[in-house]
Amino acid sequence: MSHLLTILILLPVAGALALVLYSFAGSRREEHYRWIALITTLVTFAASLLLLKSIGANSAEFRFEDNVSWIGSISARYHVAVDGISMWLVILTTLLMPISVLSSWTAIRKRQLSYYAFLLILEAALIGVFVSLDLLLFYLFFEASLIPMFFLIGVWGGERRIYAAVKFFIYTAVGSLLMLVGIIALYFTYHSFDYATILEAMKASPLTGRAEYWLFLAFTFAFCIKVPLFPLHTWLPDAHTEAPTAGSVILAGVLLKMGTYGLLRFSLALFPNAARDWAWVIIILAIIGIIYGALVAMVQPDVKRLVAYSSVSHMGFVVLGLFSFTELGMQGALYQMLNHGVSTGALFLFVGFIYERRHTRMISEFGGLAKPMPWFSTLFVIASLSSIGLPFLNGFVGEFLILLGTWTSRAVTHSWIATMFAATGVIWAAVYMLWMLQRVVFGQITNDENARLLDLNKRELGLIFPLLVLMLFMGVYPRVFLDRSKASVATIQRRVSSSPAGGSFTTSTGLGSVPTRGSVGSSLVQEPAVGHDPTLPRVGTDPAQAAIPE
Amino acid sequence: MNVFLAQSIMPIINWALIAPEVIVCTAAVVVMLIDAFARPSQRWITGSISLVGIVAAAVSIIWLWSTGGIGPADAFNSMIVLDELRLGFTLIFLLVSGLTLLISTVWVDGENLPAGEFHSLLLFATVGMMLMASGNDLVIVFLGLEILSIATYVMAGFRRTDVRSNESSLKYFILGSFSSAFLLYGIALIYGATSIAEPGPGGRIVAGTTNIAEIATRISQAQYPALLFAGAAMMLVGFGFKIATAPFHIWTPDVYEGAPTPVTAFMAAGPKAAGFASFMRVFIFGLPFVVSASTASGGSLHQLWVSTLMVMAILTMTLGNVVAIVQNNVKRMLAYSSIAHAGYALVGFVAAGAATDLTQRNTAITAVVFYLLTYAVMNIGAFAVVQLIARSGDRRTAIEDYRGIGFESPALAFSLSLFMLSLLGMPLTAGFMGKIMVFGAAIEQKYYGLVVIGVLNTAVSAYYYLRLIIVMFFGERTMAWSAPRIPASVALALAITVLGVLYLGIFPGRVINALQTRIESQLFTRQLSHR
Repeated sequence: MSHLLTILILLPVAGALALVLYSFAGSRREEHYRWIALITTLVTFAASLLLLKSIGANSAEFRFEDNVSWIGSISARYHVAVDGISMWLVILTTLLMPISVLSSWTAIRKRQLSYYAFLLILEAALIGVFVSLDLLLFYLFFEASLIPMFFLIGVWGGERRIYAAVKFFIYTAVGSLLMLVGIIALYFTYHSFDYATILEAMKASPLTGRAEYWLFLAFTFAFCIKVPLFPLHTWLPDAHTEAPTAGSVILAGVLLKMGTYGLLRFSLALFPNAARDWAWVIIILAIIGIIYGALVAMVQPDVKRLVAYSSVSHMGFVVLGLFSFTELGMQGALYQMLNHGVSTGALFLFVGFIYERRHTRMISEFGGLAKPMPWFSTLFVIASLSSIGLPFLNGFVGEFLILLGTWTSRAVTHSWIATMFAATGVIWAAVYMLWMLQRVVFGQITNDENARLLDLNKRELGLIFPLLVLMLFMGVYPRVFLDRSKASVATIQRRVSSSPAGGSFTTSTGLGSVPTRGSVGSSLVQEPAVGHDPTLPRVGTDPAQAAIPE
Repeated sequence: MNVFLAQSIMPIINWALIAPEVIVCTAAVVVMLIDAFARPSQRWITGSISLVGIVAAAVSIIWLWSTGGIGPADAFNSMIVLDELRLGFTLIFLLVSGLTLLISTVWVDGENLPAGEFHSLLLFATVGMMLMASGNDLVIVFLGLEILSIATYVMAGFRRTDVRSNESSLKYFILGSFSSAFLLYGIALIYGATSIAEPGPGGRIVAGTTNIAEIATRISQAQYPALLFAGAAMMLVGFGFKIATAPFHIWTPDVYEGAPTPVTAFMAAGPKAAGFASFMRVFIFGLPFVVSASTASGGSLHQLWVSTLMVMAILTMTLGNVVAIVQNNVKRMLAYSSIAHAGYALVGFVAAGAATDLTQRNTAITAVVFYLLTYAVMNIGAFAVVQLIARSGDRRTAIEDYRGIGFESPALAFSLSLFMLSLLGMPLTAGFMGKIMVFGAAIEQKYYGLVVIGVLNTAVSAYYYLRLIIVMFFGERTMAWSAPRIPASVALALAITVLGVLYLGIFPGRVINALQTRIESQLFTRQLSHR
């Protein structure tokens, strides 16, 4: 069990190396590459499930910690650990990876070796992003994830792949480079890259207002591009549309979460005062994103572009929840991250299925698919409903929590107005999704080519089924997820909503080896050192009230 | 100590201290002799001897360092010093020469050029670079620079029948001599400016000095501050030319494009680093921050050169990156990229110059040395691939020639992509760690604006570094193309550079520690205690 996270990062890398080594074998066969990739991702997924075992409810400790010196002279450390937040994102990553490999099974015919090697390297980088607790290490993985994605879009993408790949790269690189400046500046303030150490040091000597303001902007700008928050979203529709199906699944399912995860873990926890000052701006942008994304999705002639714009809308919800600074809202945001990964990932898979059959994604080309493809149509409708947020499916829980959190939020005055506007996003989602379904799945068969389409085969059913089961399960029994993340989210929530000296992280193990200046805590500091601001909503901290609204 | 007395006695000759230079120089002479008598079929001998000489020199400098005790040592009337700055740079030079030697075999053999001449010129150039790093006296610095430059002029024009190579050599020679003259004139002015009156009433005027440490102690009492400023400005121009900083960079693209590819690789990595070595030594140790009651010349001179360098860094980075975008020739693009990288290294230099704390100054110097090491490794790697793809006579150096070769020659294309990503500064590569170090040093000195400009430049540079990757992998091959054969020596150089880029990018700790400068400065601490 020890070094589990390091093993999780290295497993895909080992798989990629195995692929390269196998390519030198004399008796190699092209179709073996995907098997190697599938086995690697499945093993990684199985290993990641071990994370579930020891993270119980009501504990926000960092677990599975590995903490060794990495670059001595600048005291950068290889420090990885998971808590209730990152654990779920790691599992989401490892779950979506084998599904992506399966979805590429027949779709990717050229250069399979490089394709699967890039997918595996991407997986390693993504896991690394979610488990890093050293800012430099985090940045390293954050940027490293760009390169395989750049290749995946650029080599195996659609018509305008080069434009999309370059736009994707430059957009996200610009943002993260400014964050790098912020990280280095933070390093010279606290002489550490370590997240827990910096948080501890901040208690004793908080940042000056101006420094916090600029650092918050540097970090948040990078993450908001990644999310993407309106008006920084323009790279997303292009990248999504041009990427191969698996690329879109990973992009929507996991890559975007790097942004929201970063906001939650770093922007909010490290710079709570600046976050409070800027909350109104971010909330307004998030709401614009929700409505704008939905409206633009509505008029897209291309199914994949429609799903891409729906991502802008859904990620707006996540950001809104995060910046409500209530435990409900933030829990909802985390839950919505997982939901979006599952639902939108599934939607991209469905788009991939019909694209593989018809080599077009234009809505006008389809119609009446329900007849030749009953399985496809039924499951597509379920996934769409989950994306809309129908009760009993996962989307509802996340959006409901976020809206509830925003309503009670004190981050902005008149938060009910914000809630009201955001809530229209759910209606818009129903409009664009159902309208699309009506034109694609139902109605008469207008194009003869559609009449002869084959329904989903066993592989396709097999890869989509886990996601559909998850949608249902997450919709009816979210406790499993929310209970495990509750304590971790609450810690950040207290940090950002109360005084600067509020809740902070420590780790249970390995701190002895860290040259910290702060105290060595035996467990997470649960209660804020300085009293809770009584004017702030108490919903988040009351276990009874924090229970799942059902 | 009385300066005249010190000069009149026999200088302390410590041969051990210049052992690396002597070894390389001997190897060069031996190579020349053998070349005169060897048959053409015995060409490999000169290459092997050069390589042995380089390795022996590397061993000797490490031996020198490990047995030399702690703290800087000097000899020859402190014209030669031994400190971490010299150690780090000497190892970079030897690495650059060794790698150049390995990648040049394919060119020298392929075009049937006189190998012995090339090898001896390369070794002499290396001696020049080493002297530039070890010289603690402006005269030695100038001597080293000239030994280096003359060898490089010849190397640039080594493809005698090629008009581009001739143009490159001539341009480099004319402009290089011009800049050397600037440097020499600056040295003369500094010598004049540092003549001081001996303390006490009626003290006679003492002649000036070219010793860098001595200059530092005298600048606050300079008789003619104007001369000091003029001399420093002249030297700035001279060094600025050698390291190709804007606005003294104009020669770079033409020379780099025209010179044979292995020579370009050498010029971009070696002489540039050598220029930085003596530039830093002269300005940081010779013209440090000084607070003086009598004249403000020392303090304001320091302030002036630091801010001039800052402006130059901004200009160099921006110009190099922006112009590189529109280049259609890979060698020209890499030339502009090398200008941009000089700008990034200058950011660290500015931080080292501005530091008023000894530890911070040493860290910043280390950052620049490390940066130049990473640049040398990735740049030579990139040129090694460019050379193989260009074939003999450097025929295929247009970016279009790279279209679609990605999956046809994966080993070369992926190596080149790695070097491009490293030049761009992506994580897990050497370039990233180098940038972290220099930008970190600048942030420590509160140069936030400079660093923000630096990272925005990095974003701009993404465009042209990625362009090569895009052309190689995302485009489809339109013309017939066969993968070039990779000779063993080039394969070895590629393996070293690829592994080097990854090693420096993932585990840079040991190397940074080894390069860490711990240069004490009596003057410096004294100044600080005054404040």
